[in-house]
Amino acid sequence: MSDTDIVESLKRDLGAKALELTNPAVRRIFFKVATADLVPAVTLLRDKYDCAFLSTITGLDAGETFEFLYHFASPVTTIHVRTAVARSDPRFPSICGVIPGAVLYERELQEMFGVVVEGIPDGRRLNLPDDWPDGQYPMRKDWKHVRPQEIIPGGES
Amino acid sequence: MSFEIPIGPQHPALKEPISLRMTVEGEVITGVDIRLGYNHRGLEKVAEDKNWTQNIYLTERICGICSHSHATCFVQGVERLMELAPPKRGLYIRYLISELERVHSHLLWLGVAGHEAGFDSFFMYVWRDREIVMDLLEMITGNRVHYAINTIGGVRRDLDEGQKAKVLEGVATLKKRSEYYLRLGATEPSFVARIAGVGLLSYEQAVSLCATGPVAKASGVARDVRKEDPYAVYDELDFELCTADTCDVLGRVVVRVKEVLESYKMIEQMIKGLPDGDIACKAPRKAKPGETVSRYEAPRGENIHYIKANGTDKPERLKVRAPTLGNYPATVEMLRNGFIADIPLIFAAIDPCICCAERTVTLIGARSGEESVVRMSDLRRKALARPLNAGVKRNAVWPF
Repeated sequence: MSDTDIVESLKRDLGAKALELTNPAVRRIFFKVATADLVPAVTLLRDKYDCAFLSTITGLDAGETFEFLYHFASPVTTIHVRTAVARSDPRFPSICGVIPGAVLYERELQEMFGVVVEGIPDGRRLNLPDDWPDGQYPMRKDWKHVRPQEIIPGGES
Repeated sequence: MSFEIPIGPQHPALKEPISLRMTVEGEVITGVDIRLGYNHRGLEKVAEDKNWTQNIYLTERICGICSHSHATCFVQGVERLMELAPPKRGLYIRYLISELERVHSHLLWLGVAGHEAGFDSFFMYVWRDREIVMDLLEMITGNRVHYAINTIGGVRRDLDEGQKAKVLEGVATLKKRSEYYLRLGATEPSFVARIAGVGLLSYEQAVSLCATGPVAKASGVARDVRKEDPYAVYDELDFELCTADTCDVLGRVVVRVKEVLESYKMIEQMIKGLPDGDIACKAPRKAKPGETVSRYEAPRGENIHYIKANGTDKPERLKVRAPTLGNYPATVEMLRNGFIADIPLIFAAIDPCICCAERTVTLIGARSGEESVVRMSDLRRKALARPLNAGVKRNAVWPF
């Protein structure tokens, strides 16, 4: 199946749900869905397009919204599903029910962007330390690292 | 009665800081929890403040073994964003280094696997031979690990005839020896008995948990980025996808040795078919706004970089997913229902390495759950008393 066949087929299967369906390069297909359609779209990709392999989930801080890109790979192409949530209410469903291997990537999104993945089987922190202050989300664009003042025991000599 | 054994994050025998908490019942592991972040350096955030050229060297430092994988993955994405077409000779040299790196990484791993399985002569043989490929890499790039050969639009160093001959000579030696290791690794009875059936991961689990690289290939998942998404030169090379269907550590050993043999084939093809011409083209300082996804088959599996440009000389976002992260959910399943003694072997089989399980000085009765702490002074007292309590031993008598 070539990329054009897959794009046509996706158009038929998803209809108006698949927004901004593009094929900018060979074996790279991008489309956008609303968060409510995310899980059905992922299920369809897994069952019909052989996209059971999730490479990763990318989070992007786009100002008013957070964008998430789910990078799927099938043996013939790669499909990248984009979804966006408002910064004021960043909630979206977990896809772990469909792709169990997604859990680490969703945990990473939660701590790095301060979003809520609804229905995640394991919502603990993954990378950040246990004593990391609440409300600090490092991958947000407005978060800047401030190096804490170095304290030398006994003072400078 | 089940209790937890912490392994790591700081462990004398652990090469990388990772925390594994094993829930064990007697000798059997019933649950595993992985906690990451002890080596988190915030590279994705740092990359947003560095320009495209600086980021080549930053991404190269993501990993200390497959450094070339990350730099290449990044560079080929940036080239796509800048709409550059690097000259063929440059690409051949770049992917020649990729394959040499795969050889050195797999040989390193094979040695570690031999060591974890208690087959130390295998470890020493393999690591001796790894020096051949390390020397070749040093000869071509000037460095043993961080090759720094990539640049946007090509590579930074050319190959001359003498170097080409040396690479072919080194690969011929390695090929002969690797064939012997394949025979040894797959047939040596004590080695096979130690690794067969350990760390089982079924085909279904490998697919659903998104395992990648040799871990997935050893479970019969025939996926390889070089085959299904051939980047740069891989559609011109003749090689085979190596899989195994034993789903255990034995399969992972076999897959890696076979991959090494395929890499030798590719190295020979690339050296013999090395085109003439430039090794790099000039790259602009800035990239147009846009996004790209770059995939690369690293020694440990699929490596993926998502790069978004905003029209400046710095990336808007760089997302990196190294193959080992993708293999952690699968590792948890491999360890489950295994034995404590198999932890190093199974964990090493995905290619990060820990050597031995941490021992605790809190003794917990396996049935009663009572805890008792053995103090250092008690241990010392017991150690001193031990020879006194032992039976009297006569000196050995020479039989002749």
